[in-house]
Amino acid sequence: MASQRKKSKGENLALRYLILGGWALFCLAPVLWFLSIGLRPRTEIITPQPIYFPSFSLDAWHMIWSDWPMGQYLRNSVAAIIGSVIIDLVLAIPAAYSLSRFTYKGREDIGFYILSTRMMAPAIVAVPIFFLFRNLGLLDTIWALMLIYAAINLSFVTWIIRSYMLDIPKELEDAAKTDGAGELRILWEIIIPAILPGIITASVIAMIFAINEFLFTLLIASTPDAYTMSVALSNFTGGSDGVIYNAIALVAFLAFVPVFLVVVAIQKHLSRGLTMGAVKG
Amino acid sequence: MSNPSLSVSGAAKAAPANPARPTMRRRSKRMKAALPYLLVAPAVIYLMLITLYPGVYAIIQSFHEVKFGPWRPVGLANYEKLLTDYQFWGALWNTFVIGSISLILQCVLALALAFYAYRDPWVKGWRIIFLVPMLFMPSAVAFIYKLFFLDGRVFADLLMKIGLIDGNIAFQSSTWMSRGILILADVWQWTPFLFIIFVAGLQGQDEEVEEAARLDGASWYAIFWNISLPMMKPIIAVALILRAIDITTMFTNVFIITKGGPAFGTETISYFIYRTGFKFFNFGYASAASVIMLIITIVIAQLVVKRAFVSSRS
Amino acid sequence: MARIELKDIQKSWGAVKGVSDVNIDIEDEEFIVFLGPSGCGKTTTMRMIAGLEDPSEGAIVMDGETMNEIDARDRDVAMVFQGYALYPNMTIYENIRFPLRMRGVPKDQHDAKVRRAAEFVELTDYLDRKPGALSGGQRQRAALARAIVRQPQVFLMDEPLSNLDAKLRQAMRVQIKHIQRELKITTVYVTHDQIEAMTLADRIVIMEKGAIQQIGTPDQIYNDPANTFVAAFIGSPPMNLVEGTLEGGVFRAPGIAVENLSTRHSGQVTLGVRPEDCTVTGIPTHLSGTVYGVEPTGDVTYLTVKAGDKLIEVKADRDYRATLNTPETVTFDLTRIYLFDTATGQRLR
Repeated sequence: MASQRKKSKGENLALRYLILGGWALFCLAPVLWFLSIGLRPRTEIITPQPIYFPSFSLDAWHMIWSDWPMGQYLRNSVAAIIGSVIIDLVLAIPAAYSLSRFTYKGREDIGFYILSTRMMAPAIVAVPIFFLFRNLGLLDTIWALMLIYAAINLSFVTWIIRSYMLDIPKELEDAAKTDGAGELRILWEIIIPAILPGIITASVIAMIFAINEFLFTLLIASTPDAYTMSVALSNFTGGSDGVIYNAIALVAFLAFVPVFLVVVAIQKHLSRGLTMGAVKG
Repeated sequence: MSNPSLSVSGAAKAAPANPARPTMRRRSKRMKAALPYLLVAPAVIYLMLITLYPGVYAIIQSFHEVKFGPWRPVGLANYEKLLTDYQFWGALWNTFVIGSISLILQCVLALALAFYAYRDPWVKGWRIIFLVPMLFMPSAVAFIYKLFFLDGRVFADLLMKIGLIDGNIAFQSSTWMSRGILILADVWQWTPFLFIIFVAGLQGQDEEVEEAARLDGASWYAIFWNISLPMMKPIIAVALILRAIDITTMFTNVFIITKGGPAFGTETISYFIYRTGFKFFNFGYASAASVIMLIITIVIAQLVVKRAFVSSRS
Repeated sequence: MARIELKDIQKSWGAVKGVSDVNIDIEDEEFIVFLGPSGCGKTTTMRMIAGLEDPSEGAIVMDGETMNEIDARDRDVAMVFQGYALYPNMTIYENIRFPLRMRGVPKDQHDAKVRRAAEFVELTDYLDRKPGALSGGQRQRAALARAIVRQPQVFLMDEPLSNLDAKLRQAMRVQIKHIQRELKITTVYVTHDQIEAMTLADRIVIMEKGAIQQIGTPDQIYNDPANTFVAAFIGSPPMNLVEGTLEGGVFRAPGIAVENLSTRHSGQVTLGVRPEDCTVTGIPTHLSGTVYGVEPTGDVTYLTVKAGDKLIEVKADRDYRATLNTPETVTFDLTRIYLFDTATGQRLR
């Protein structure tokens, strides 16, 4: 009996590591291969026979900084993203407070409306949004990007923060009330400090979605004034040169590294954030 | 204990008037009732600006021909044309086919991986490794796959090296192979999303139930099928819905890898709207397609999402 | 410092009745305990005094002033919560100081007041810690300090000791009573623990199903219960209640016969007798049954006797022992016997 047990456990482990290891390889191999693309000369990328052991070159690195205003793309990305997250927090925190700590008529419907905006395909609203920003004179500015990123993420951010607020015991609020604090005081002094991890999680996830956003940025940005990292990539496809893959690869890693580090830092909260609080990780 | 107590009661006598007492406010009930609405209003108004306003705008525009000049009312012409437009129906079909295959694959893979990973001592490490694809910009991922399969022909070359094929593969002329690339790219990038959630769900379940089942002699597989999986149903539903929303709006990969080809075989609904509006500047027609998508979205939202999300949590 | 009157208080949520017909006059400096099982409306009543809940009908009056329209933040009451409700992001010092800041107490008085309150509960060494770094008892004392720091008109305490272990609870009970006597602040205390109620209260309000069952001093509640609910709720182990018939001053139930009762009532009644008012005699008097169980506890032995299908608890001598299922007889102290109407549960006097 005991030996049978051991045997079956051993089999399990081998299969487990075969599957997990296999998937890890599947995840990382394309990434490493793409890194090798970024660190090789252009002449060794698209060739009659793929080159598996290329020579090392920093051509692409020099190119993205000298031939392209990469510094500006980076600044645009950072400005638009940070601005959008600030807008989101300013709007979402009071909204989440209202949805989580008060009972009133229509609360469920309002909450669901906010959630449902997440279901809108960007393509559905792309045409009107394009005209809206054109009429406002905001086309090709980072202000437009900021506003649109904020709108895309608002539902997510509100629901994540709401979920964290729901976890705060009602007693804490009652205590603050009898201590003499008003509703806004309670929000500012008691609730916000208590849900800081939730606010950070929501902000990080909003940042990732903003970095990833492609369609709106493509429509709104038409000059380097408003190009972000994500759309700048499609810039490298332009003209007679064809797709400049090594530059794309380096830009992709440039954007990946900070995102990766931040996400590892908030790993514990990630599953909860990604499901807008439905899973408490 | 006894000594300081005297000083407290002494202090009470020294400062008898409580500052709050004389300024007791009788706050109006109306103000109190309005507060939660005031708090939620800015967010709702903002969202209305980017959903209701475009919605109404699209509805109005869909009854017009909008090319370069002024709007010309055409009644239902755009909708009539859509109903017989094989490209529109094709785009709906492609979105459904690519989306559902991709979603099923991701779900099965993520469940299997989560099943093996969640009891593993290195589960944190696996999570970080598996997360990597998800944290790349989608446009960069699209380029990885474009280069690997199409421009660089690396995939075909690798197959030739191990002797599976003896020539090049013409991905671009095969609808199913093109769809396959889109599906693969999506599976590669987004299986981690489901994996992370499923692992959290499995870790969050009551260990005692699992232990009781083990004492009853159930194997890990039996526990997973009979206990873990049923308990995870709500989590799986929420995760799949979120994923389904993103898959049905698939645009970036199509835009970069296939451009909808060959012969519109990989054109998704998002790409159809984009192409109609911003490539052919047929905005009225694009808006009509948007309105139909909007209606489908609202119906699905009311029927499926509301049940899965709101009821399971409030 | 404050007199509280609750006048005809009703509280309902839609069709659900929470509290009905609550009338209580709480004297200045009185320590009053609301006692009852969970869901009896005691916490709701307290929350209405705090202003955290609005009564559906009736008036809450403090020192002659109706408080119904006044927000919790503007009533001069301090509350101690079951889960302590310390603000997790603030140090203990900041926690205690919070009510001073909120109520606009001049800044230069804060430090002295916070330190005095902390000394009062012996917490001065922990002022720089966050609540998460304190033990249950220390958190409890921090919550007390936060309540006393601003010298409120009224203390409200909602099961403040229920999360502590038995030993600590005993110590905190003494401390709470001491503080209340020292500060002379009107206190309303909610609990489901009768020992807490008996030891702390000037008067106890016993509630059940949203209604007051009896108001009285601990002695009155114990010695003179108004109905079977109060009789069974107070006392440990609880009073024995036996249904039977009363005719011509004789009570009969299977295995039980009590004669010479001086009462003018008759019919279906319930007889109540506390375990400590029963003695094991050996000669058949009031009850003859069989031994069902014997529980020695050290200073006393509890005997359970089965009479008919009824189990009667008896507080016997510490060295009393008996064999299961052997016959046993019990005598009641006739001066301490209670009769209740079986149908209404009300005491027959």
